[in-house]
Amino acid sequence: MAANCVRFAASLLGKGVNGASPTNPVTLQLYRQICGTSALRRKNLAAAGPEKFTPEFIQKQIEEFEIGKRHLANMMGEDPENFNQEDIDRSIAYLFPSGLFEKKARPLMKHPDEIFPKQRAVQWGPDGRPFHFLFYTGKQSYYSLMHELYGKVLNIEKHQDRLREKGLFSTETKQISLGTSRWLTKEELEELLVETISTHDYDRFIQLMEHMLSMAYSSLEEEFILRHRQQLEAQTMHQVVPPLQKDDKGVDFSTAEGKRKTSKSSVVVRDCGSGSITINGEDYLHYFPVLQDREQLMFPLQFTGLLGRFDLECTVSGGGRSSQAGALRLAISRALLSFVSEGEGEAMRQAGLLTLDPRVRERKKPGQEGARRKFTWKKR
Amino acid sequence: VLLVRWSRYNPYYLEPEVRKEAYSRPESELSPEEKEERELKTLRPIKAAPNALTSSAFDDPVLSKFINMMMKDGNKVLAREIMMQTLENIKKKQVEKYHKAADGTKEEIECNPYAIFHQALENCKPVVGLASIQKGGKYYQVPIPLTDNRRRFFAMKWMITECRENKHRRTHMYEKLSQELLAAFEKEGNVIKKKHELHKMAEANRAYAHYRWW
Repeated sequence: MAANCVRFAASLLGKGVNGASPTNPVTLQLYRQICGTSALRRKNLAAAGPEKFTPEFIQKQIEEFEIGKRHLANMMGEDPENFNQEDIDRSIAYLFPSGLFEKKARPLMKHPDEIFPKQRAVQWGPDGRPFHFLFYTGKQSYYSLMHELYGKVLNIEKHQDRLREKGLFSTETKQISLGTSRWLTKEELEELLVETISTHDYDRFIQLMEHMLSMAYSSLEEEFILRHRQQLEAQTMHQVVPPLQKDDKGVDFSTAEGKRKTSKSSVVVRDCGSGSITINGEDYLHYFPVLQDREQLMFPLQFTGLLGRFDLECTVSGGGRSSQAGALRLAISRALLSFVSEGEGEAMRQAGLLTLDPRVRERKKPGQEGARRKFTWKKR
Repeated sequence: VLLVRWSRYNPYYLEPEVRKEAYSRPESELSPEEKEERELKTLRPIKAAPNALTSSAFDDPVLSKFINMMMKDGNKVLAREIMMQTLENIKKKQVEKYHKAADGTKEEIECNPYAIFHQALENCKPVVGLASIQKGGKYYQVPIPLTDNRRRFFAMKWMITECRENKHRRTHMYEKLSQELLAAFEKEGNVIKKKHELHKMAEANRAYAHYRWW
């Protein structure tokens, strides 16, 4: 925008931008032109809100992304038709290697729908009249959802009344099988509606849903209810079982790794029949003189009841006595997963044997003596 | 300033169940709450088991808590060593007594050091505690009910402080502890006396019991 307030700065070095004439170069080059704007014309960038993108702009971005994807596939020598997101990530990591710690600052190529936040198209026509009848409530998607929900509740009640008139009303009707699912969280609901709602609104929504569920004939609106529930999957699906290998003598063995604090360990569990344990080449009795650490090594074996059956060959480095024992325990439990049934594996997970302990040493903060301890408070 | 206690674990994580018996119970024996809990455990992630906890039969939660309370500067090895020596000492004394006793009284002498430890702690636990409540400018000692954890804490704390301070300097800690535990088992000794004094104070201040509002 045109600068109507131009400030001149005096510069001793005489780096002149304009107004330098050959007659008196020294005097005129003393001033450097700095363009500025008055306080009135300066835009309040914060008040404009998040950046708005038009649908045409997003469409153009999507087209560019598709073309870029095909170019990338060509560059990597792969098939442009079946190039998925993992391939894109792999290629970008190969072509633009970045050592930055912040993952979000690294080069990124994703579909524009994932990058640009979902925005609503303009809600009113060329005459300024809004399309939706609830536009002036301010939260049109939320109120239209509540309106729809309440309509369904009234529908179910009407159905129930009709059945009662005929005398066919019964409470033993087909109930909706919710299984292991939970209601959508507030954030997920906001994502669904593409607008922000308050906690009070969310609570009202959940209340009305629960009320609808408690009615006998709620199976009429099963599809609507299930759309607002999130399935919870069983945690056992996340367990990675190490593969069972066979070595030259025909003995089954499996390898696994574990860590705790700064210790890293790797364990080879062999199905020999002896109960010998070797750590870094030494016997476990010499390596862990303390009883507590040896107990931790035996913990997974004792829990599954397979104490004398296996032969453990372990290597461990880093950390102290206790954390090395913890790392070994995790590695042994993971290796045992391949010898043990799924039910036993689930029992091990519920006993806390398969979780990586996230507790690490907390850093010291400036202005304090330690991580939590403050300096002695002096009144003056 | 809001003092918030947080842990490295997401609050979504559940506590681990280490005992083997809890997993061998069939479906029929469980009540509906236990069934729900079991279902919840299959869906949620579980925290890692702490270092001092195992599924072995020799693992005792009360004993572990006592060892932790005795520990100084993180020296768990020393604290555990003292505890093991105490139990050994108790066993020695009890076996000696057993062999010296007449035939009729032999069965009454308890030789299991773990049983003696548990019984001694039980005998030391106070029933009511005192709280300092301000009313009308003055502070009154009001008798209040204590939770189980709090009672156990008091018993252990008194035992440890008593052994550290009130005994002769030259005796070992395990010796002092074993003497005090055996005395508490017989319902004698300084810790039991302290418990009785607390009860007497609570009884004396019984008039102020209505000052408690919770």
